[in-house]
Amino acid sequence: MIKAGQIEKGTALLIKGQPFVCVEREFVNPGKGSAFVRLKLKSPSTGQTLSETMKTQDNAEDITVEDIDYQYMYNDGENFHLMNTSTYDQIEVPMGSFPDYQYIMKDGETYRCTVWEDQILDIQVPSKVVFLVAEAEEAVKGDTVQGATKYVTTETGLKVRVPIFIKQGEKIRVNTETKEYLERVNS
Amino acid sequence: MRRYFDEHGYTEVDTPILSPDLIPEPTIENFATTFSNEFVGSRELYLVPSPEIYMKRLIAQGSGSIYQFSHCFRNSEQLGRQHNPEFTMLEYYTVDADEQDSIAITEELLANTALPGCPEHLLPPFRKMTVAQACKKYAGVDLDKVQDPKTLRAEAGRLGLHLPDAPESWEETFNRIFLTFVEPSIPQDRPLVLCEYPAQIECLATKTPGRPYRRRWEMYAGGVEVANCYDEERDADTVRNYYRKAYAELIRRRNSTETVIPDIDLSFADCFDVGFPQCSGVAMGMDRLLMLQLGKSSIEGVILFPFSAMMAGR
Repeated sequence: MIKAGQIEKGTALLIKGQPFVCVEREFVNPGKGSAFVRLKLKSPSTGQTLSETMKTQDNAEDITVEDIDYQYMYNDGENFHLMNTSTYDQIEVPMGSFPDYQYIMKDGETYRCTVWEDQILDIQVPSKVVFLVAEAEEAVKGDTVQGATKYVTTETGLKVRVPIFIKQGEKIRVNTETKEYLERVNS
Repeated sequence: MRRYFDEHGYTEVDTPILSPDLIPEPTIENFATTFSNEFVGSRELYLVPSPEIYMKRLIAQGSGSIYQFSHCFRNSEQLGRQHNPEFTMLEYYTVDADEQDSIAITEELLANTALPGCPEHLLPPFRKMTVAQACKKYAGVDLDKVQDPKTLRAEAGRLGLHLPDAPESWEETFNRIFLTFVEPSIPQDRPLVLCEYPAQIECLATKTPGRPYRRRWEMYAGGVEVANCYDEERDADTVRNYYRKAYAELIRRRNSTETVIPDIDLSFADCFDVGFPQCSGVAMGMDRLLMLQLGKSSIEGVILFPFSAMMAGR
């Protein structure tokens, strides 16, 4: 058991027997009342999200999870296929549980995963990732009102708005949460 | 904002933020420090969570309408989009006015002082709704019919909320319902003044005659709680009772958490004996207001040295 106030992003909880992972947390004090926490929880097996508002002093049932490294191999359009890097056991994770991860995870790359009873609750993708620009539109000159940007596609298929000076074959750092361009990376 | 108040007959004041006593607010944790002097001894002092008691002392002495931009401090405040342990509060007290007048004053204040580019949905006219209307509309709860903790608890159960086994106060169960169903549903196309708070929520706002509510409102803009207003209690005995009750509750809570128990000054209530004028007070979170008007997603975007960054050594 933990206090609801201790729950943070990534904390795994058992709700009505089902595992959920906290994806958003916001503290609220209504008026001058006692502290509450508003949680957005996600079920890793269904992708279903749940909103819960609890007093920070309420008890919540947390579950003991393990961090295990998995290598991302490929997706078949429905599931991600990952392999435990120490046991070589393979596991499938529904793609719907991690929207957009197909455009962020790189084939062959190792990701730390939050695991509970042989089930992957969370794939810990770094908040900033360097991608190769696979496709870049030619910059259209003259349209500089919006600070002169254009779209590029990374090697993983992620579309990112970047400054016009970014060219195909260059590397860029991207915020994986907001999918926003951060900077050009000189290699 | 200063110009608005100066032109409307308010006097700007600057009251202590380091104080030997505080108003007892059980849910607001305090910062304590020590005044020390080798000859006169030492004394515990507190950083104020709001300038309220000093401003009310001034009003009792005949200051007329006053306003203040004050740094305020709340300990154990969870860091986040809307919280920083040190923040800036605007408080304005209007003499010979009630909480309804304060709605119009606040509308005029924001209409006249909004920053250029301020989104329309943060500007007046305000939408108005009572807390009871909002509970009915968004939670299907008829507050008039659930006035005691037991029936409200049953209502929360009917709504599917999980309550801990231990009994809790009416206010706590109300807050669960309010935060789960009402606050997330608040329309955001205009600021909303949510008025008439349940009387069970103890505070220094006067009661609505003949009904279980208080003359208090909270303003939400963009879904964020920005301002709080009371028709200020003027009866010295009521203030004394509030102090005693709130202090007992504060001590009860903090004895278990071993957090700061501030001194209070019961003689504060004496200032209401001499004839405190009819008055309405508004407290507005300036960091939140600026965050909204500038389109930032966190108050850290408008605070030069946010607490979380200082703690991280940045």
